[in-house]
Amino acid sequence: MQTIFSPHAKRLLLAAVLLVLPALAAASTTEGLTVTPANIVMGAQYNGLDLKVNGTVPAGSEVIVRLTGAPSTLHLREKGKVFGLVWMNVGKVTLNNVPKICLITASSPLELLGKAAAPFRLEALVKGIGIEKDGGDPSVDISHQLLLLKTKEKLYGEAAQGVTLGPNEGGVRSFTAVIKVPSAISPGEYQVEAIALHNETVTGHSSATIKAELIGFPKWLSELAFQHSLLYGVMATVVAIFSGLVIGLVFQSKGAH
Amino acid sequence: MSLTMSLYLPIAGNSVNCLAIFGLGGVVGLLSGIFGVGGGFLMTPLLIMMGIPPTVAAASDSNQIVGASTSGTLAHFRHGNVDIKMGLLLLIGGIVGGTVGVQIIAILRQMGNADFLISITYVLMLGFVGGYMFLESLQAMRKSSRPEVADASPKRESLYAKMIRIMPLQVDFHRSGIRLSLLMPFCLGILVGVLAAIMGVGGGFIMVPVMVYLLRMPMHVVVGTSLFQILFTCMNVTVMQAAQNHTVDFILALLLLLGSAIGAQFGTKIGKKLGGEHLKILLASLVLIVMFKMLYDLLAMPDVLLAYAGGH
Repeated sequence: MQTIFSPHAKRLLLAAVLLVLPALAAASTTEGLTVTPANIVMGAQYNGLDLKVNGTVPAGSEVIVRLTGAPSTLHLREKGKVFGLVWMNVGKVTLNNVPKICLITASSPLELLGKAAAPFRLEALVKGIGIEKDGGDPSVDISHQLLLLKTKEKLYGEAAQGVTLGPNEGGVRSFTAVIKVPSAISPGEYQVEAIALHNETVTGHSSATIKAELIGFPKWLSELAFQHSLLYGVMATVVAIFSGLVIGLVFQSKGAH
Repeated sequence: MSLTMSLYLPIAGNSVNCLAIFGLGGVVGLLSGIFGVGGGFLMTPLLIMMGIPPTVAAASDSNQIVGASTSGTLAHFRHGNVDIKMGLLLLIGGIVGGTVGVQIIAILRQMGNADFLISITYVLMLGFVGGYMFLESLQAMRKSSRPEVADASPKRESLYAKMIRIMPLQVDFHRSGIRLSLLMPFCLGILVGVLAAIMGVGGGFIMVPVMVYLLRMPMHVVVGTSLFQILFTCMNVTVMQAAQNHTVDFILALLLLLGSAIGAQFGTKIGKKLGGEHLKILLASLVLIVMFKMLYDLLAMPDVLLAYAGGH
């Protein structure tokens, strides 16, 4: 997706960023992003993809690029030790405002980018999540556990040096980032953001929205399963019985003696 | 030309390698055909390990068991190893027991700690059934390897045998070659149904020992009849799960089915070649392995202290 901004649009976008992200008060430039492919098309052969992000940032800047999914509510179980012996579900946890996915990559190791990079990292993301606990151990750091869970699923991750920087030319430098999008993503809208950092200060922030959508057979099947669920269940059962019978009969004819 | 074997599953929300799923179905189908168990207790954890969400793994597994048990039942039926009368009585009891079990689970969940009771029931049942079958089969195999010693004293009838004999509504089960009260399979069906609902499985691994030890059916009829009963149980589960929870991934089930239905055919042939005691000791070993794995999961600290609600 290409977002080429007119000077007027750039001013509007900058105003919006300053409004919602006070931490970016030092931001000075908003550059356009090119995301390839423009949308994530999930057909029968979809197996994740490499999302390429191109753009420009002020000269001398380092870049963080991240892909985030729309926030949702998660219902989880907390595990704890019962009778000092067995690990069981001991409490219920409801988490609000949890992005389905958050993949971060940068032009340098994130630790080296200093405090300015911290608000864009996973630790900061999970700290902003609303936690409601019912039972369980109060000493368990739920935010950290969520991070572990999502990282294990490969839906959250931080990769150092996934961004290639171009030379400084005419006050700007180009960058190319590659984000490996896993196959386990849901249809919906996702945000691609590029954050420029220089001397521990945010010097630019731009974003683009991409869409992940089902097409072809997966789309048809998904609609059938969710909109005509009883029919789908009966169809799944009938096809399974029919397939079992056909395979049984094939073996009967081959194994006849 | 590149040939990709990956396939995106819209309900599971992930892509899988077709060959890996096909192979997994084949191995579990083989065991299903040999032992007459649905294989749910084995397939579901393996699917979860492959990145399928637990609820989708369990429901889709039920869907594939419908196909696999159709194929397996057909194979056993051709060999005359399905006691339909017995199977139907167990099935009716199982449905009644399953409904009761679902209510018990709902009450336990309200009281809290239901998951703990589920896991403990699992470990105890698997341990008891597996351990008993293993030791009993081992004794029987040792006896058969020793030369026969003539036993002059007449065999005394056990209390259990007397109880079975005096129960009302006695009926001949020709296929199994036994005479029993109608109440026996019905009540045992209820018992298995309750346990299966609490444990969230088809109940094949409980039903098989019940048929062997409590109904005293011959092993080969047990396997075919168990598959026959599992077929109907899983049909019900598939439709209910699809309609209420949207967790049946039809494509995943078809891939598993293709592998498992073929595996079940080979399994049935292998099962015929193996002696009854060999079958029992192999099934007992499998049940004990799963029991030890579950026990380990209960005792070892998990990597992550959060889990998605829905799975056990």
